[in-house]
Amino acid sequence: MREMGKCRKLWCRQVSERPGTMRPTTTRRRMMTSAAILAVTALSAAFLAGCGGKAETPAAVAAAGDGPLGAYEETLVCAAGRSTIANPKFPEGDSYEDNAYTRYVKDVLNVEIRDEFEANGADYDRQVSLAIASGELPDIMQIGSKDLLDELVENDLVADLTEAYEEYASDYIKEIYDSYDGRCLGQASYDGRLMAMPGTNLDGAPCVTYIRRDWLDKLGIRIDEDGDKCISIEELEMVAAAFLEQDPGGSGKPVGLAFAPYLTADDYGGSGYTMNAVASAFGAFPKVWLADEDGEVYYSSTSPQMKEALGKLAQWFRDGILDPQFGTRTWDDITALLTNGQLGIVFGPWHIPDWLLNNVRAMDDEADFAAYAIADGEGRVNVTHSNATGGYMVVRKGYSNPEVLVKLVNLYFDEMVNSTALAEEHPDVYDYINQGVDGTARVISLEVNAYTSLLDDYEDIRACVAGEIAEDEVHTAESRSIVESVKKYVENPSEAGVTDWAKNVSRMEGVALIDRMMETGKFCWETPVFYGVTETMRMKSANLGTLEEEMFVAIVTGSKDIGAFDEFVATWEAQGGSQIRTEVQEAVFGEEE
Amino acid sequence: MGKKVAKMGGAARARGVSSQRMYHVMMLPGMLFVLIFCYIPMFGVVMAFQDYVPAKGILGSKFVGLKNFSYMFSLPDVSRIFVNTLVIAIGKIILGTLMAIVFAILLNEIRCKLFKKTVQTIVYLPHFLSWVVLAAVVVNMVNLDGPLNQLLELVGLGKINFLGSNVWFRPMIIATDVWKEFGYNSIVYLAAITAIDPGLHEAAAMDGATWWKRVWHVTLPGMLPIILLMAAMNLTSILSAGFDQIYNLYSPMVYQTGDVLDTYVYRMGLISRQYSFSTAVGLLRSVVGMILMLTANGLAGRFTDRKIF
Amino acid sequence: MVTRKGIRANLGLAVIYLIVFALGLVCLLPLLNILALSFSSSEAAAANLVGFVPVKFTTAAYQKILEDRQFWRSFGISVLRVVLQLVLNLILIVLMAYPLSKSKREFRGRNIYMNLLIFAMLFSGGMIPTYLVVKNLHLINTIWALVLPGAVPIFSVIMVMNFFMGIPKSLEEAAVIDGATPIQVLTRVYIPCSKPVIATITLFSIVGSWNDFFGGLIYMTKVANYPLQTYIQSLSVSLEDILNSGGSLSSLVNAMEVSSQNLNAAKIVVSVVPLLLIYPILQKYLITGIVVGSVKE
Repeated sequence: MREMGKCRKLWCRQVSERPGTMRPTTTRRRMMTSAAILAVTALSAAFLAGCGGKAETPAAVAAAGDGPLGAYEETLVCAAGRSTIANPKFPEGDSYEDNAYTRYVKDVLNVEIRDEFEANGADYDRQVSLAIASGELPDIMQIGSKDLLDELVENDLVADLTEAYEEYASDYIKEIYDSYDGRCLGQASYDGRLMAMPGTNLDGAPCVTYIRRDWLDKLGIRIDEDGDKCISIEELEMVAAAFLEQDPGGSGKPVGLAFAPYLTADDYGGSGYTMNAVASAFGAFPKVWLADEDGEVYYSSTSPQMKEALGKLAQWFRDGILDPQFGTRTWDDITALLTNGQLGIVFGPWHIPDWLLNNVRAMDDEADFAAYAIADGEGRVNVTHSNATGGYMVVRKGYSNPEVLVKLVNLYFDEMVNSTALAEEHPDVYDYINQGVDGTARVISLEVNAYTSLLDDYEDIRACVAGEIAEDEVHTAESRSIVESVKKYVENPSEAGVTDWAKNVSRMEGVALIDRMMETGKFCWETPVFYGVTETMRMKSANLGTLEEEMFVAIVTGSKDIGAFDEFVATWEAQGGSQIRTEVQEAVFGEEE
Repeated sequence: MGKKVAKMGGAARARGVSSQRMYHVMMLPGMLFVLIFCYIPMFGVVMAFQDYVPAKGILGSKFVGLKNFSYMFSLPDVSRIFVNTLVIAIGKIILGTLMAIVFAILLNEIRCKLFKKTVQTIVYLPHFLSWVVLAAVVVNMVNLDGPLNQLLELVGLGKINFLGSNVWFRPMIIATDVWKEFGYNSIVYLAAITAIDPGLHEAAAMDGATWWKRVWHVTLPGMLPIILLMAAMNLTSILSAGFDQIYNLYSPMVYQTGDVLDTYVYRMGLISRQYSFSTAVGLLRSVVGMILMLTANGLAGRFTDRKIF
Repeated sequence: MVTRKGIRANLGLAVIYLIVFALGLVCLLPLLNILALSFSSSEAAAANLVGFVPVKFTTAAYQKILEDRQFWRSFGISVLRVVLQLVLNLILIVLMAYPLSKSKREFRGRNIYMNLLIFAMLFSGGMIPTYLVVKNLHLINTIWALVLPGAVPIFSVIMVMNFFMGIPKSLEEAAVIDGATPIQVLTRVYIPCSKPVIATITLFSIVGSWNDFFGGLIYMTKVANYPLQTYIQSLSVSLEDILNSGGSLSSLVNAMEVSSQNLNAAKIVVSVVPLLLIYPILQKYLITGIVVGSVKE
């Protein structure tokens, strides 16, 4: 602190030198400074301009061949934004840019795919954002959300595909889209103009309850006496209590029911460990927008039915049937509970045996699961339709050949699926399908399937396993491989591999359950009125989502009593919920008079 | 001090002009990079005052004045994010400094060379590893089935989801940052301690001062200038709670308590495509950060006779 | 009395040793954990059985890495990047630090440069404008996108400048009288005197560019071009992320298969090896460099 008082002017040492000894004339300096600033500004304009000359200058149109699969006379180069996954299982030497599917495109259409970017998950969103920011979109790219499509259309960045679709889409593809009654194409249309090719999305309902069949047998528990594959909330509770008390897995630390902290999900497809199955038994459909009889839209997470469902969970938590560590158990932790034999009841989409429950079987080759749907008091299974649209493919505005996207859809979802000569003509593509190379390897990683395809495929599999039809009568290659697995498992359960087991459970239990519900008319359908994103949602949904999640967890764990639900609804309304509801109302039913 | 002005020799003065030119030439390549990668992007901040539409570019987008800023302050999100940033950053500064000082004082007492060297080697190491790597290390340690929770379970405290809980996330971020940096930060303090005149210690010991008293009356005052300088320097990081660290450790579950300015700007700009809004938040952060830096430099200059720059 | 005091002092010292030892352990154990994971079987790793020693010791994960082309590609990109960045940094820093270390009288315009540099250090245009510049220079997906934006680490320039200021003027004057040009003064007088600070900025540069993951994340549009840290970061995409983004069935199956903890641990360990190799040198110069460079009287 010797020279503490010594005051120095801001930037540093030089100031201690005597000031003012030689100062260039201020005017000259000022001129130089302004000249410099001018130069930098000009430079910046050039460097930051971003907005591409590329979009303005369409390349010469390579003469388009006729028909849905007409090849181009000259090779058409198409820059693509590719949504990928971490391990697509390419054969040695193949890559996203150069693989059997892209070579297929080159062979048939004479189109060369060049990848502008490749990324997955949030990384992909970032690449898209950067591409938009710089004003240079790839010629074609996939986008996930309606919200983004809205933005692209508003900013006039994507090409109108109406004519291309009319002219080039094959009849089969048109049939597929028509099977959704406009619920699919409608999402991609603005003022009657088709601005994107939407992927299709099958109904994923219901949220299936898979229960360890071997444990039920071991403990001699009998549920679903009438064999309709529906169980009541009481039966679920009874099984959970029995598993908890008698610990059939012998882990020493049994858990009755477990849910992930996010507790609910807005769709059936991707999420497991949710309370959706339980909620639907009370007539609640978390995170879904519905309309009541008077045409008033409402958010089902805030409905009285939801309150009832949460009350049930809170009671289970008090009774100890629901995992005492609920709220801190993550997805991975719950998976560990399953594989450690601590948990025997799991909720999720029909296909979880293929990717989740297979881990249970791998640890314990006695493990087996039976699928049930949870019915309400009147024996109905309440379900909602999923969004019929699963992602979009867009073409950038100004691209010379927008119809190439439609041709790609024709190629992958009509020709490739229906061609009988694929094995001879394009053996590498055929191999890809059989080896299960990931769908992201196609330039279009969305799915375009008819509304009924899940049950159609199931019918094939069932009939073939039952010996009613021959194997070559089964329609798709995928179904044929499932038939083989199921047969292998059915013939000799102890010898069959985990994958065979998984396919057997997912189809012969999971899909069979859906088939059964459809046939017996147990499903009670609700149709959500809105899947998109409104202006206020864009800004507030993260907040509201957190509020919802935190309150639900608090109510279930008893740190807030059930009365706090009304408080939640009030807060939700106040923090933007009511504004959002008005916007949704307008979006669905138009402006109010 | 203060006699920096060198007396220049006559020969040097004669060569002055050509040296001048040479100096400018030497500056040129570096300044070119600074111009391109620092100054030109600065003009991008005009986005903060626009409703930036990518298709129109910066030149074509509409100016909206301070709308993005007023919007920012109307969002409950933003105040939460400022709070998160400040709490985490201040926590890191205070605990990090304390820990580094204590460690330096303790280490200074160690006489066994081998032991000292080994410990130093180990505690400096985490500083050099990236948060990408350390995040994986931390996640493995504290996840629900990791060693730490197994230990907690063993002593009957029950498991804690450290990285997924809004109660624990901030303490975890602070603790792991202190863990990573305390060794490295102690280097400066250790150097300061060694620079203290050993005579002072001897005199104090002669007067019968205990170790504790000597630390309090000799060591700490001796370190004070460095401590103040470091505190001033740390002030500059008060708005950057550590992007790399939080980006690699957080999840939507803990946005409530863990989302800080840098991560928010990143998500708004690069995921949600709110370019103008994100730039506005970033600009505010930059300006406040710059003011802090200048203040810190001024304070450092005034109180410690040393400068950051 | 003396002995009692001695005992107390010894006891105190023992406590100090113990605390220091414990702190060392706290730093070491988490790193041991990841090392142990990498040498454990994937089942043991998945079942969370691994503490600080490998369970069911195996080098399988490392053998797998040997076959992982992308890993080595990324590794190579990182090495190349570190080398290019280092060369560029050293040249530019030294070239700039020398004139800046002159007084305002010796080098007119010094203060303008200095203020420009300090302003650039304090104020940044933000991510997106910087991205636009890099994109318009057509650097996206090239190694230069990783190297050029960080070509002038201003803080290091100031550090070296400060060090140069401390070098006795008499040395330079002697050289000038012998007819040396500024460049010659720099290379013959200043640089040989500045080993500690040059070592320090070398280390800053190496560690900084090796550890950076964000540049790769933004400027590289394909995993094939990712530097190592970005590649490793991309491995830890969590399952919940995929779920939240409405992943397809196949991506879910895939995610479950990819998340093999011991393999990721091994990748992390290998990524740290280069730093460990230079760590002894690092440590040697670090202490002198830091003390000399940034906190100078």
